[in-house]
Amino acid sequence: MTSYRLEARHVSKTFGSTRVLDDVEFLVAPGEIHALIGQNGSGKSTVVKILTGYHTPDAGMSLTLDGQLVELPVQWDAITAAGVSVVHQDLGLLDHMSVAENIGVGGFVRSKVLRRIDWKKQHAIAQAVLDRLQVQVDPATPVGALNATNRAEVGIARALRDQRPGEGVIILDEATRALPREELVRFHGLLKRVVAEGTSVLMVTHNLDEVLALADRVTILRDGRVVGSALETSGLTEQDMAKLMLGKTVGSLSRRQKDLSDRPVVASVSGLVTEPGRAPLSLEIRSGEIVGVTGLPGTGFETVPYLVSGARKAPAGSLRTEAGQVDLAKGDVVDCLRAGIALVPERRDRDGLAFEMSIRDNIALPNIRKRGSRWFVGRAWQAVEADKAIELLSIKTRSADTLIKELSGGNQQKVLFAKWLSVSPRVLVLHEPTQAVDVGARQDILTSIQAVADSGVGVLLASGEPGDLVEICDRILVLSRDGSVVQLRTDSADDVLEAVYNEAVPTAGGPA
Amino acid sequence: MNPEPSSDSAAVRLSSDEDVTGRIISDSGEHAEASEPPTRVTLRSQYEPKWLHTLTSKYALVLVWAAMALVYYILMPHSFGSIGAVRAIFGGQPVLVFLAMSALITLLVAEFDLSVASIMGLAATIVPVLAGLHGVNVWVACLIALVACMGAGAINAFFVVYLDVSSFVVTLGTGTLLIGLSQWISASNVVSFQDDLFSKIALQPFLGMPVSFWYGIGLALFIAYVLAYTPLGRHMLFVGANREVARLAGIRVNGIRTGAYIVSSLLAGFSGIILVSALGGFDSTSSGQFLLPALAAVFLGTTVVQPGQFNPIGTMIAIWFLWTGIFGLQLLGFAGWVQNVFYGAGLVVAVALAKVVRSRSKTA
Repeated sequence: MTSYRLEARHVSKTFGSTRVLDDVEFLVAPGEIHALIGQNGSGKSTVVKILTGYHTPDAGMSLTLDGQLVELPVQWDAITAAGVSVVHQDLGLLDHMSVAENIGVGGFVRSKVLRRIDWKKQHAIAQAVLDRLQVQVDPATPVGALNATNRAEVGIARALRDQRPGEGVIILDEATRALPREELVRFHGLLKRVVAEGTSVLMVTHNLDEVLALADRVTILRDGRVVGSALETSGLTEQDMAKLMLGKTVGSLSRRQKDLSDRPVVASVSGLVTEPGRAPLSLEIRSGEIVGVTGLPGTGFETVPYLVSGARKAPAGSLRTEAGQVDLAKGDVVDCLRAGIALVPERRDRDGLAFEMSIRDNIALPNIRKRGSRWFVGRAWQAVEADKAIELLSIKTRSADTLIKELSGGNQQKVLFAKWLSVSPRVLVLHEPTQAVDVGARQDILTSIQAVADSGVGVLLASGEPGDLVEICDRILVLSRDGSVVQLRTDSADDVLEAVYNEAVPTAGGPA
Repeated sequence: MNPEPSSDSAAVRLSSDEDVTGRIISDSGEHAEASEPPTRVTLRSQYEPKWLHTLTSKYALVLVWAAMALVYYILMPHSFGSIGAVRAIFGGQPVLVFLAMSALITLLVAEFDLSVASIMGLAATIVPVLAGLHGVNVWVACLIALVACMGAGAINAFFVVYLDVSSFVVTLGTGTLLIGLSQWISASNVVSFQDDLFSKIALQPFLGMPVSFWYGIGLALFIAYVLAYTPLGRHMLFVGANREVARLAGIRVNGIRTGAYIVSSLLAGFSGIILVSALGGFDSTSSGQFLLPALAAVFLGTTVVQPGQFNPIGTMIAIWFLWTGIFGLQLLGFAGWVQNVFYGAGLVVAVALAKVVRSRSKTA
């Protein structure tokens, strides 16, 4: 007789030749809040996807719920019946439908004869769950009218709908990410009531603060392995967890220690508001300088690249380069390109490259107007540019005619990078350039970013990877939720993590 | 984190959902690209000469076409082998050529335009009604028809591009609406109009073919040139392939989409004029019959010349292919129903083939 609510052992997952989870185990006790933390790419989301049946685990895994063996790969119906429910990051709520509909979806009660939905019962069910959670929301309200906290509560209510009090596991997959800080306390109160009944909660989160405040125990993943198994949170600090998440600091040697304060400023951003209500952000990028921007998800650091390049309109802010000034609240991509800003977006599949077109076509795209006349665009320069890029970034491909979809992730990223280098920008803005690429490609990309900077281009690098940041950045700006900024000059990833996770404590930064 | 959703390659989005599945995995697993598909080294790929590979991968449709023509020739050496038959196959479909090019232009930028046939019908109604019934100069009538067509295109663009309504729904609606308008203008009669000079713009023989055949060739070559060698054409391809990528590269995506609708409607208008010129009249209720052959040709065209991409030369070949098939069957004595069967089956097979061809193509 086991005493665990959820017991997963020997969880491994291999994609092609990459092992993203390696013999992970985690054990969730009844009535506890168990946190699962790790960096981006550490395998947290893969774990959740195995538990929900989206991914098939490698052979050898065993999963039990209250001692009952669960058949693998997970069948969603079976595991729901056994009491597992999930609240995803986006909560999966439909704004134009009522709270009762959102809670009821997937398990509507139908009337006997006509098989139509019995709304009276449906409302009663919703009301019962909401009462149980002590949430004051009218089941008839459309979800779109609710605030972030109420929405999260409705998400939880849906997860609890079919569970008997005191049983089951709720998996929260970054579900608290959208909540404002002051509301978290109330939401945590709700979770504590849920576990007090005996239900378990498995929360996947970025927020170490939240882990300490809420979780009883924590499992920490790094590169697909468990580095801290079911640790009691009472004996931990945020720094302890951050160190475990990051492991030994990787390759932090090559950062150039250069004094760039006498170099000309190539771009200055002033009064940039990432989200209404946040303090404005100002920054200057000097020629040859690599400036990092980071922070917790939700601090707005991840939108900075899109705002300064005109890809998205900012509530307020302006950009000045030698080529002119752009009002970021009005300007668009064309204006920013003209000012010399090139954006390398994060989602190469969606925003970066046309996958059904060739390397040559993709690299040539931003230059077509400049290099061609109205009625003729030559092919020769396109081939030359593409071959140059393939050579310079050592892109592994048979020819420049190969379609992007045939390349590996790292090589796609290199093509994306080459595409924007080819416009000879004054400032190159990058968002997570090393995401989902292998170690070798990462090194190639980081080296070429440095080479670009050495040629006099200013680089703005927005990234959630402290390893990348300390390796190449001259200075790093850490954003916090209220918009305040801490500046670091360091080559220790631990310092960055500390600043990221420790927003409240001002860290001594170097001179600007 | 990222704003509005974007589109993917026109051909992909319109004919399959394979790409979507790929994206779901890469969103989540973060390692979707980690596994490179193993390169298959088969005896065939090793010993197949390059020209043969090109022929089988890029021009398979031409081979099938040749085989089909051969079969017909063997069955009917006299009727199918005559110069008249050749002329009928290549020169018999000038209207379809213009209409297919019209549909091609919107499909290239990943938009549907189901109203092209109705727009063509509008032009083919306005010209004989104005010139024949109201005594307006025929060239003025043509001009008015073309302006009306461009207006219809602009209306499509307004709803689709600026109000962001599904192009499928909008053009289905405007298409039906325009058929109705045409019926109203013509009082649901077949309006005819005869003028020697006017009929020459379609039927005047030139180098052994009706001149409208050469218009079609010229148009296809022109579109092919624009797509391959002008900034506009390259930008159109990217708008079709991935709208967000195009926008982030500083392309005025909405301008290109709007332009595509208007130019497409203009071409549809030209096809209407050629139709009236060649036939001397038009039945406004019949425009709907022209849509499917045009779409079938455009989709079948994606299997040839530039496999996996909408392309004008491929569309021409597809038109000839489809028409050869129908023509031969008609010579063999099959009645008019065979046309619908052939075009209908052609569309489904074309889209299925296009999907297979695209997933196999590795280079541009």
